[in-house]
Amino acid sequence: MSLNVTAASVFVALFGLVAWLGFVAARWRKADLNQLHEWGLGGRRFGTVVTWFLLGGDLYTAYTFIAVPALVYGAGAMGFFAVPYTILIYPILFLVFPRLWKIAHEHGHVTAADYVRERFGSRPLALAVALTGIIATMPYIALQLVGMEVVIHALGFPADGWTGHLPLIIAFIVLAAFTYTSGLRAPALIAVVKDMLIFVTIFAAIVIIPAKLGGYSAIFASVPPEKLTLTPPSGDSLGSYSAYLTLAVGSALALFLYPHSMTGILSASSGKVIRRNAAALSAYSFVLGLIALLGYMAIAARVDSNPLYAAGFAKHGANFAVPALFLDSFSSWFVGVAFAAIAIGALVPAAIMSIACANLFTRNLYKEFWKPHCTDAEEARMAKIVSLLVKVGAVVFVLAIPKAYAIQLQLLGGIWIIQLLPPIVLGLFTRGFNAHALLLGWAAGTGIGTYMAATRGFVSSIYPLEIFGVTLPGYAALYSVLVNLLVAVALSPVLDRLARRGVASGTR
Amino acid sequence: MTGKHMKRSLARYWPRFLLVIPFLLVACVPFYNRIEPTLADIPFFYWYQLAAILLGATVAITVYLLEEWITPTTEQGSSDPDSDIDVSGTPGDIL
Repeated sequence: MSLNVTAASVFVALFGLVAWLGFVAARWRKADLNQLHEWGLGGRRFGTVVTWFLLGGDLYTAYTFIAVPALVYGAGAMGFFAVPYTILIYPILFLVFPRLWKIAHEHGHVTAADYVRERFGSRPLALAVALTGIIATMPYIALQLVGMEVVIHALGFPADGWTGHLPLIIAFIVLAAFTYTSGLRAPALIAVVKDMLIFVTIFAAIVIIPAKLGGYSAIFASVPPEKLTLTPPSGDSLGSYSAYLTLAVGSALALFLYPHSMTGILSASSGKVIRRNAAALSAYSFVLGLIALLGYMAIAARVDSNPLYAAGFAKHGANFAVPALFLDSFSSWFVGVAFAAIAIGALVPAAIMSIACANLFTRNLYKEFWKPHCTDAEEARMAKIVSLLVKVGAVVFVLAIPKAYAIQLQLLGGIWIIQLLPPIVLGLFTRGFNAHALLLGWAAGTGIGTYMAATRGFVSSIYPLEIFGVTLPGYAALYSVLVNLLVAVALSPVLDRLARRGVASGTR
Repeated sequence: MTGKHMKRSLARYWPRFLLVIPFLLVACVPFYNRIEPTLADIPFFYWYQLAAILLGATVAITVYLLEEWITPTTEQGSSDPDSDIDVSGTPGDIL
């Protein structure tokens, strides 16, 4: 592949525009960025519209645009689980998170671990929440880089050797610099540009590409019929039905527990803003559904047998399906727009994720265990430095370690993050849980979830659970969080009673 | 939670039970796992789920509006757990 000069120029120009916006953002809604809640939460002043762009940019990442259609391209109907997943996240957002926002606002909490620390008065539980958040987010940042790398190579930049990594390294230095200066204001502002580019790209794609391929009937006709629907249950196994539904439910429950979603939610200016967004973000889900269909369009366009794209597919596998489809269908300048949309779509979540990790580290490890009396300015400075380290870590991770590991770790990350459901969500609605019971539940869920993934060699998160001779293949995250919940429910009254007896005997 | 408090919550938050509808729409996998009837050549499996997104959004908007409509009639002030504090420096909380 030689460098596509037109596309690359448009790409670089748009990238430059966004980088400039990132730095300008420091002066947007001017405030003292040496306060952590200003740098790391945008001063909690984002209204409905900005929150819509920020959460949209946060949740629908570059990796989504690449990986969801790639999954549909490779696995067919099963890959479409992303759609029921995005349908389910909004009722959860509506019911749960305005409440968390309110408590966090009243007490000045910046992270979920801050909230857990105060709610249960337990340092170990807050530590577990903070560490789980950081560890689950790191591979997620790395995957954003993978998404960016795919489009950079598709533009025709060299893919191998040291020069192959140079564009990615430059992009990340820019990202690190504007995140350091502007904090959460940068991704919030950039998300607006990113969304416009994405919407233009997707609407062009669903109009232009089907017209070229002979309409939707031709597209669906080119897909092998067995891929078009889920395999029905056979014998004593529920087959892909239970897998499809548990993937959707488990992913939906996990999503808002990720630190970067939490950061997006806590930066809203009121609970009402969050509830409005629970309705308005569905527009994004619809676009995601259309993006998923790009996988089938790639099959219909036979990009995999086109010698032009053989090198790309050899290097990136199914993740190359969408870039190849765009190269095949759009004129060069519009390829530049589309690829810029994807690459900028990586910058926004990567910035928010690194800010979220930095907030967690600073508030719940540094301030909690090393420097309890640090000043606000010291706290903010620490967070800025950590946000840099997190990004360096992600770049090293992607360059030094085989990509398959990043994907496997992200899969494990979903299983680990969902274990925060009992302490974070249940704590909002009931006081009936004991902190030690929640901690034991967390440990049990994390252990069993990891074991389930290990039995599948860490390549799949679908665990064939057997109950009374019926096999229920399902998402390990959902199964393991049920174990977590059972432990927490069963042990809470027991440990509460033990604690009371301990207090009683201690005072005697 | 006292009975009186419960009753007041129910009067105010009953629309939230409607949020079970999106879940029911996606839970019936065997129902929508089929090709026919197609819509504009798109198999049922796909257009049903895309339509479910729109239905889910409609439900969320309905719940939001119903709550907005109920709130002023049942109670005022800061005693309720989900009331909002607007600290936005910009007009309202739109931007």
